[in-house]
Amino acid sequence: MMERIAKRLAWSVLVVWATVTLAFLVNNALPSDPARMVAGPQARPQDVERIRKSLGLDRPLYVQYARFMSRLVHVGPFEVAAGDAEHATCETFGPVHVDFGKSFQQRRPVAKIIRERLPRTIFLAFAAAFVQAVLGIVFGTIAAARKRTFIDVLAVSGSLLGVSAPTFMTGLLLQWLFAYELHLLPLDGFGDTTLEHVRSVVLPALTLGLFGAAYYTRMVRDEMLGQLGQDYVRTARAKGVSPAGVVVRHALRNALVPIVTILALEVGVLVGGAIVTEAIFRWPGIGSLSVSALLDRDGPMIMGCVIVTSTSVVLSTVVADIVVGWLDPRLRRER
Amino acid sequence: MRSILGRTSALVLLAGLVACGREVPAPIPRAGGEGAPPARGGTLELASFADIRALDPANMADGLVPQMLEAMFAGLVDYDHEGHVVPDLAERWTVEDEGKTFRFFLREGARFHDGAEVTAEDVKRSVERALHPSAPNPYASYFESLSGFAEFAAKKTERLAGVEVEGRYVVRFRLDQPDAVFLPVLAMPMVRPTCKSAGDRYTDTWVACGAGPFKLAPNGWDRGRELRLVRHDGYYQRGKPLLDGVRWTFHVNSTSQRFKLTRGELDVMREFLAPDLVAFQTDPRWRPFGAYEANKQVNGESMNCELPPFDNVEVRRAVAAAIDREQLRKIRATNLVVQTRPVPPDVPGFDPEVPAQTFDLPRALEHMKNAGLAYDPATGKGGWPHPIPYLVYKQGLTEATAQVLAQQLAKIGLRLEIRIVNYPTFMAIRNRRRQSPMAPGFWQQDFPDALSFLEPLWTTRSINDEDSNNTSFYSNPRYDALVDKARREPSEERRRRLTTEAQKILVDEAPWAFTYGYRWYVQAQPYVREHTAHPVWGIELSKIWIDRAGGRMASRALFGHDARTTFASVFGDRPR
Repeated sequence: MMERIAKRLAWSVLVVWATVTLAFLVNNALPSDPARMVAGPQARPQDVERIRKSLGLDRPLYVQYARFMSRLVHVGPFEVAAGDAEHATCETFGPVHVDFGKSFQQRRPVAKIIRERLPRTIFLAFAAAFVQAVLGIVFGTIAAARKRTFIDVLAVSGSLLGVSAPTFMTGLLLQWLFAYELHLLPLDGFGDTTLEHVRSVVLPALTLGLFGAAYYTRMVRDEMLGQLGQDYVRTARAKGVSPAGVVVRHALRNALVPIVTILALEVGVLVGGAIVTEAIFRWPGIGSLSVSALLDRDGPMIMGCVIVTSTSVVLSTVVADIVVGWLDPRLRRER
Repeated sequence: MRSILGRTSALVLLAGLVACGREVPAPIPRAGGEGAPPARGGTLELASFADIRALDPANMADGLVPQMLEAMFAGLVDYDHEGHVVPDLAERWTVEDEGKTFRFFLREGARFHDGAEVTAEDVKRSVERALHPSAPNPYASYFESLSGFAEFAAKKTERLAGVEVEGRYVVRFRLDQPDAVFLPVLAMPMVRPTCKSAGDRYTDTWVACGAGPFKLAPNGWDRGRELRLVRHDGYYQRGKPLLDGVRWTFHVNSTSQRFKLTRGELDVMREFLAPDLVAFQTDPRWRPFGAYEANKQVNGESMNCELPPFDNVEVRRAVAAAIDREQLRKIRATNLVVQTRPVPPDVPGFDPEVPAQTFDLPRALEHMKNAGLAYDPATGKGGWPHPIPYLVYKQGLTEATAQVLAQQLAKIGLRLEIRIVNYPTFMAIRNRRRQSPMAPGFWQQDFPDALSFLEPLWTTRSINDEDSNNTSFYSNPRYDALVDKARREPSEERRRRLTTEAQKILVDEAPWAFTYGYRWYVQAQPYVREHTAHPVWGIELSKIWIDRAGGRMASRALFGHDARTTFASVFGDRPR
């Protein structure tokens, strides 16, 4: 198992490198000028040119790429001393330094900006995934167990509505009702205390969660219906296991295998940022950062966001593999 | 089960109906009457969807930050309510040597936020810090008329020769040649005095400190979230500002801003969705406290004079006459105003005597005929035989106006092929030589003067192969000479005549077909007193005071609308 995980992690590094390289090339191939985006639309050409040079954008592309990759992960001092220009943009993990460079727009180390924002994004991603999983599994299981009843129809219709409703609509509706009218939760923002963070995450997590829950409801229902028709379920029933026990302990556990895989991937994607939801609720995460970076052609920031997103997706697949193996011992042996 | 379904459906339906059809709630009233004396205290709450990138005069790289810099950094001079230059830290100045020397006499006792006195040395240090090539200042070249600027910008010298200290409170600026807009440019925030902690050269980590009416609160800038300023008690204008502080919140979308405004959590709002704006403008309880800001922006259709068919002046004239600007204005009637001249009406230098570009279809057809491209609207024959690529960017107003424009120009035989790209790509392609035949042009005043438009947009020296600000690549030696002369002309009256002449050329030769101006509507709460729109800064924070009934904690729940009412209307019961 450990060998397999190690292989997967090595493969992950290759995938992330390929993604980053592709993003670098695409970003530089586009007909746009990052220096103009820094200087603003009304700056004079001579000022734009000066800024271009100061950002190192006048150097050949391969030089920029080589510098970025050579700095990305490197070895340096355990602690960066004040005034150490060489490592001023690094985030340190002991002697290992991670350096995404300095944001063209914010003129701060990208690694530092991501360090500030990533925990908030992970918080939202897990909260949303939790809502998705709990609602999806509960409603999907009930719908399957009560097949062709009113509950089943309600769950299926509700999931259709949830999947069809765009997050900007759900988000605004939740914001209007729970924050604006009922004053139960904050309108937007992240808050300053732990309690405020928790209160602030409810609406964005619900917005993302309701959309995902609808999808999971349908998926769990279909998986469960497939499992409930299997021989081992009939055997369990024949042996006198209670209906709830059959559903929860036998069928649900097997139905969860594909769902866990998709849920893990979903967390990975959510860490990449929920752009619309972050915009509605002013959630200071990676999503809004990525969009601004892209619109401003902020190369180092784009690279940083791409690395975070691709790494989170790749790592989540590794986690999914581990969890699936734990859920279904047959898969562990097969692999 | 039926009750759950029914209640859920009712909830969703009610939410939708209420969200769509509700009136604007009543505003929170003032505490005092019309003649109430100004009172100190309170924090003004402002919000924006945009964010700021830096908080340093030497890095003024976004459109939102100037009003914050104005609040934090006093300049030698500033703009008054008409956009004229008035004394600020300099109590007076003299102009000598035929407009080539400006001598400023500083107020004694003016203090920085750190308590130190503002001196001539600080002025020189701050100017050099902001104009040094190591600073990311996008406006450094605006000061190229200063003596020694070229050497300083090329790092040949460490000191800027054109700025000289002549005593603790006297500083002299020497120019190589007279520059009529030197004072308006100096009033921009870039070279405003900074505390000694800023050092001689720009650094990214400096904590903003100036001599303006407000200073940064401790840890007051939470990047991407909010900026908090507090009153600078050592501000040289005694008794000002009246506010305890100001808080800007960033990344707040228009809907959230509207919610916050009606809940009393936002004091002034500017970024309205069109339906919300109409609702506020038509509500008699809110209308008296809303106003349009000055129109300081020109929009038009920029035609590339180096590419066919717009290398023919008659085709450009045809376009200028074929555009029905009133139709374009209706696309966003709440914010757009018809504009027919190069300089917006609220900018000094606007001259109503300059003939307007007006909609006249027969005349447009006549111009097409003169160009050798006669077009018959009845048969659809004639005109320019090829489609004309028209570049617009996504999510801009131009995405909508392009559709109307294409229909209007089709009536004179010009077929636009609309190409939608993202904003950075739009900027790169439009500003590149011989690349885009036609694209929207837009420009906002950098400083309140006609030359802020006439010089960068249409002079030959503004043409560049890449990053050209002259996006129509228009070149006319007579026009250049008028603008150059106006730039050196010290007499206000003579300069006005020169800029008027230059505007007449532009209206006639039409490198741009001028279309509309964009006006922001600002809605203040009734309790925000002395709020008037400033022509440059938008909001004048040093004058505003808060006169709120019930204090900051009062919400509109006290004034007729209440969360419980809504709860009851939704759930049919009172909350327990």
